[in-house]
Amino acid sequence: MQTLASLDYAIILAYLIGTLALGLYIGSKIKTGSDYFLAGRRLPWWAIGMSLVATDIGAVDIVGTGGAAHKHGLVVGNFEWIGCVPAMIIGAFVFIPFFWRSGVTTIPEYMERRFNVSVRSALAICWILFMACNLGIMLLASAKMMAVHLGMTVDQCIYLTAFLVGIYTISGGLAAVVYTDMIQCIVMIGGCLLVLVLGIIDLGGIDQFQTELKKQEHVQQMKQDQKIAAEEQAAAATNELSHTSLILPADSNTPFPWTGIFFGLALILSPAYWIGNQAIVQRSLGARSEFDAKAAYVWGALLKNLIPVVVAVPGLIAFVKFPELKDGDQAFPELISYLLPVGLKGLFLAAFLAALMSSIDSYLNSASTIVTNDFYKRFYRKDASDKSLLMIGRMITFLLVVWAIGFAFFLKSDDAGIYTIFQTLMSFFQGPAFAILITGLLWKRATGIAAFIGFVVGVCFSILLFTLNQESVCAALGIKPLFQISDPFLYLSIWAFVVSFSLIVIISFLTKPEPAEKIEGLVFGTKSKRRPA
Amino acid sequence: MTPLHHIGNFIRELVIQIPLWCVRILFLGTLIAVFLWVLRLPRETTTPENATHWYQNLKIWACLALAIQIVIYSIF
Repeated sequence: MQTLASLDYAIILAYLIGTLALGLYIGSKIKTGSDYFLAGRRLPWWAIGMSLVATDIGAVDIVGTGGAAHKHGLVVGNFEWIGCVPAMIIGAFVFIPFFWRSGVTTIPEYMERRFNVSVRSALAICWILFMACNLGIMLLASAKMMAVHLGMTVDQCIYLTAFLVGIYTISGGLAAVVYTDMIQCIVMIGGCLLVLVLGIIDLGGIDQFQTELKKQEHVQQMKQDQKIAAEEQAAAATNELSHTSLILPADSNTPFPWTGIFFGLALILSPAYWIGNQAIVQRSLGARSEFDAKAAYVWGALLKNLIPVVVAVPGLIAFVKFPELKDGDQAFPELISYLLPVGLKGLFLAAFLAALMSSIDSYLNSASTIVTNDFYKRFYRKDASDKSLLMIGRMITFLLVVWAIGFAFFLKSDDAGIYTIFQTLMSFFQGPAFAILITGLLWKRATGIAAFIGFVVGVCFSILLFTLNQESVCAALGIKPLFQISDPFLYLSIWAFVVSFSLIVIISFLTKPEPAEKIEGLVFGTKSKRRPA
Repeated sequence: MTPLHHIGNFIRELVIQIPLWCVRILFLGTLIAVFLWVLRLPRETTTPENATHWYQNLKIWACLALAIQIVIYSIF
């Protein structure tokens, strides 16, 4: 394994100092809770758009998507393409302006206005659990990769990254997060682009890359054929080579058959993420105008077109260069070690740190926003001043950093793919969360009690499906696994959504409608309220 | 076998019958539908109040993002 040279360290250090300095400078301007949580509602579209992309593409995605592309092929690009772009465009013109006008600070806050406090609390708890776990996963993902290159232990890397991100997020809040994300987006895309270009040059150009990719697919196919029964060989031979395909058959033995990608990802997880994820929506709530909120999403959608090219394609290059690699999550680190010379390796590691920091800072800030606004202010100090909210927000951010470190150490013993853990966590509640969001926004007749029951039952149903798919549970009950693909997280979200949505519709018809004055301005088709100045 | 297994098997058998070219049309059709919806949006929802230049119309950039998607899903 190559080690870093002084030049590499100098580049990494320059990047870290620059980020910290910017974060601390912005932090010095923060005076109130509104400044901290919503950047004083002064953010421009270009910064928000880049921040959206940087937040979405974290270290988890660089390591995880690269690894998944190495294992499953270009199909993972769906997560950035059809799994982002259409939802972002629809969100830009329909949902985001609606939230911006309503003047809320968090999505759970909207849920209380539309439904009741139980729905708000249930959703806020789910988001907090998700974000808290995700923080640990992100820290571990980064530490695994940094340890390979920096000659440090995984434990040391966890402490280092938590310290760096913690300082500027605690200090500068959303504004620091968005502006450092913007720089991180540029560094991250530049760094990944570098690996992509050098990788293709190393393979002898694009044509040679395609030829080698097909050759490698044939080798893998032949190995697979040797393992399967004779009658299945004919069928396997007729299958199209899948590593460069975005659409895989419904019975494909990957977590990404087209049914999951279309119904689970494009129709449920993606819109749930882009219009219902606090970490994502929060920055558009801090936009300086309704137009900026919309433009940020459109700008983000344009950038999203580029992401699979710079993140997933290097996974395919690793598939050609290191076909025998057993751990997909090692694809990107191996490629960097092999491809990058002194200096450029430092630049890529800075890009990787950028990806890591941009996601962690966002989740830290958003988790802190939810705890402060949806729990502390809502239940403990309704009359809390804006200044005291700032102090509480900073304190909670610090506690979340400590928690993230602890959870990262807990996860260290788990050998499952990072990406899979992340997606499974989301699929437990994203379907039900989307069901209450969409019915709340679009259907006047949806009632609070129906939303609460639909959400809770949907989450429980999702966990039940996940449990019924575990080998140990199936063996104990003497049943076959429920799903025939590995890691069926996309299917979990589909069924959880269907159950939640159906329950909300049925129970809403059985319960008393919400008063018209309560839902005014909160549902499409009702009179719009202008946001408070 | 639980009732959930029976439901799952029934749906699985059903979707396996759908040929991949139909699936591709479904993916492309969805993207084209969103593209057409964006084209039909009223100008006041896609431009700032005092817009003076063509590039301030978000409709153009949204359509560009979707057009790239349509090309990608046509090829891969």
